[in-house]
Amino acid sequence: VVDPPAPTVALEVPARPEYVAVVRLALASLGRLAGLDEATVEDLKIAVSEATTSAVLINQAAGGADPVSIAWARGDGQVVIEISDRGQGEEAAEVDEGELTGVRAGISVALLESIVDGCEVVPRPDGPGSCTRLFIDHP
Amino acid sequence: MELGIDVRKVNSCSVIDVKGEIDVYTAPKLREQLIELVSEGSYDIVVNLEGVDFLDSTGLGVLVGALKRVKAHDGSLSLVCTQDKILKIFKITGLTKVFPIHASVEEATVSPQ
Repeated sequence: VVDPPAPTVALEVPARPEYVAVVRLALASLGRLAGLDEATVEDLKIAVSEATTSAVLINQAAGGADPVSIAWARGDGQVVIEISDRGQGEEAAEVDEGELTGVRAGISVALLESIVDGCEVVPRPDGPGSCTRLFIDHP
Repeated sequence: MELGIDVRKVNSCSVIDVKGEIDVYTAPKLREQLIELVSEGSYDIVVNLEGVDFLDSTGLGVLVGALKRVKAHDGSLSLVCTQDKILKIFKITGLTKVFPIHASVEEATVSPQ
């Protein structure tokens, strides 16, 4: 496993549903700035929305005090987006109980995995929580 | 960011025209509208997605939930969508096999399935 390049843009938002759109629009702008074509920007918006929604729901289940962290970096032929939660590892079951999010969970993973060029979930290097890394090819 | 929702009656169907972005913040509004329609006895529902700029798994979850509700009353839930970026999401998730998808409200309301 090769470490991703150092982030060049960092963003922190409250773990609240209304901020998912803020993250989506900010990252779409970064994508356009980096020269991604519109179809790829649309895919990026979906992937970012999926991962950020999951992070918001996990942080809320964990108490809601911690923000969701987002990092954007342009590496070697690809864009790397990191979306990090502060879950303790037990929130996922709790998140899936509501009807609004229950059906969502399975669809979200399928959507995320097929819409980006790479995706991995790793433990946060700076303490509890998970980091979802999205890779988008950008030759 | 607000989600625009208008409900109208076309033939025997209830048509919901949705405008804006459907995500975890706005989806509850659509969900409440769908629940209200079913509780009022509307079991043939058409959701018009032509004005929708963005849709993710939260929106798909709401539509699947509504489909289960109308099916419990032998009803139907169909969609109107011609936008490639939205259709792509239904294709990737296999939901094109679950929802009848039409090119226009006229087409959707002539033959509810």
